Amino acid sequence: MKKLALVVLGLVLLMIPVMAGCRAAPVEQASSCVTCHSNKDLLQKTMSVIEEEKSEATSGEG
Amino acid sequence: MEVWEKVFVKDAKFAQSTHGMAGCVICHGGDSTTDGKESAHQGLVADPSEKSCSSCHNDITARTSLHATLNGFVTKLEARGGDLSEGSLLATAFDNHCQQCHTSCGQCHISRPDEMGGGLVSDHVFKPPSMQYNCLACHAARVGDEYLGNNEGVPGDLHWTRLAMTCSKCHGEELHGTEALAADRYGNSASAKCEDCHQNVLANTSNNPQHEQHIGELSCQVCHSVSYKNCYNCHVGIDDKGIPYRTTEPSEIDFNIGLNPEVSSQNPYKYVVMRHVPVCPSTWDYYGADLLPDFDLVPTWKYASPHNIQLNTPQNENCNSCHGNPVIFLTEDDIGPAEGEANQGVTVDKIPELR
Repeated sequence: MKKLALVVLGLVLLMIPVMAGCRAAPVEQASSCVTCHSNKDLLQKTMSVIEEEKSEATSGEG
Repeated sequence: MEVWEKVFVKDAKFAQSTHGMAGCVICHGGDSTTDGKESAHQGLVADPSEKSCSSCHNDITARTSLHATLNGFVTKLEARGGDLSEGSLLATAFDNHCQQCHTSCGQCHISRPDEMGGGLVSDHVFKPPSMQYNCLACHAARVGDEYLGNNEGVPGDLHWTRLAMTCSKCHGEELHGTEALAADRYGNSASAKCEDCHQNVLANTSNNPQHEQHIGELSCQVCHSVSYKNCYNCHVGIDDKGIPYRTTEPSEIDFNIGLNPEVSSQNPYKYVVMRHVPVCPSTWDYYGADLLPDFDLVPTWKYASPHNIQLNTPQNENCNSCHGNPVIFLTEDDIGPAEGEANQGVTVDKIPELR
């Protein structure tokens, strides 16, 4: 009986840290992306100018 | 559109939407846990349509959109004997010059197509395609100009000028394709048809002798569209800076009735409107000679549905607007010297007699 009680106590003690370690899957911090991409001033400061080249040889309807 | 505007999410509430709550990184990759631009954009996929949309929308992405597959182009090139196998000269040319019209889910529903420089149309909201920013990005030169009335002296389509109907009012689910890959838009069983809305025209012809006489034999556009662009002599190549280019001769506004080359249960008409396409035997010469060895197997005048519908047109003024009038028909006289054989099946040899 005493042994059984010790086993149960041991199991309970083991469960505590395990349950403490269970967390919901980390929620992506989407605000990090949207935080930048909804900030007009920040986007204007950090934008990279990409030159899209169209050939000067192109002519006529597409 | 400025570069920053292309990625500007005006309304941060997007994060609370269904797609937003899935998280940006789920579709776009990158790293949302860091604030630095470079590190946040490591592994970024700007247009994740091909891999991401199907994870939830497989019922749509599994279909056979002609916009995604460009099968209409493929069909015609292969019918002319073109070899589009991987690594072939024509496949290289196709990638350089035709793929720009390829669209992804995102380029119809979220952003402008690459051809128009990309950029979010309306924040990151998923919407039916915008006529202005999506459809007309690619379909401006012919159908767009016809629909809006941009061709000098030619009125715009009544569906626009009177009803302000945007493209998606008629062209909806068909754009996702069906289970079977269509050879072209006329082979798409879900394609928009006039009778989708105008059932009364088919059902009741007794008060309209022209309908009584001609419905089923003539496509609607034969009587109800007006002059439209026809294009000629497209040539492609790579310029000195390594940039793909194309040239076409100035287009011609004209109207021609020819014989339907694609008779089917969906399109049973004998007479249809014909538009000249700019492909010619030397179109791909930059990449190699004779890349379309069976050029003459496919007409250079194709079945068309000009989007410039009018109630009253020169054709339906009276019977003899067409009957006995060779000018309005596509005849041998209209065919260029190098295109006679290709168009044998679509020219009208016997003009309908005067009434």
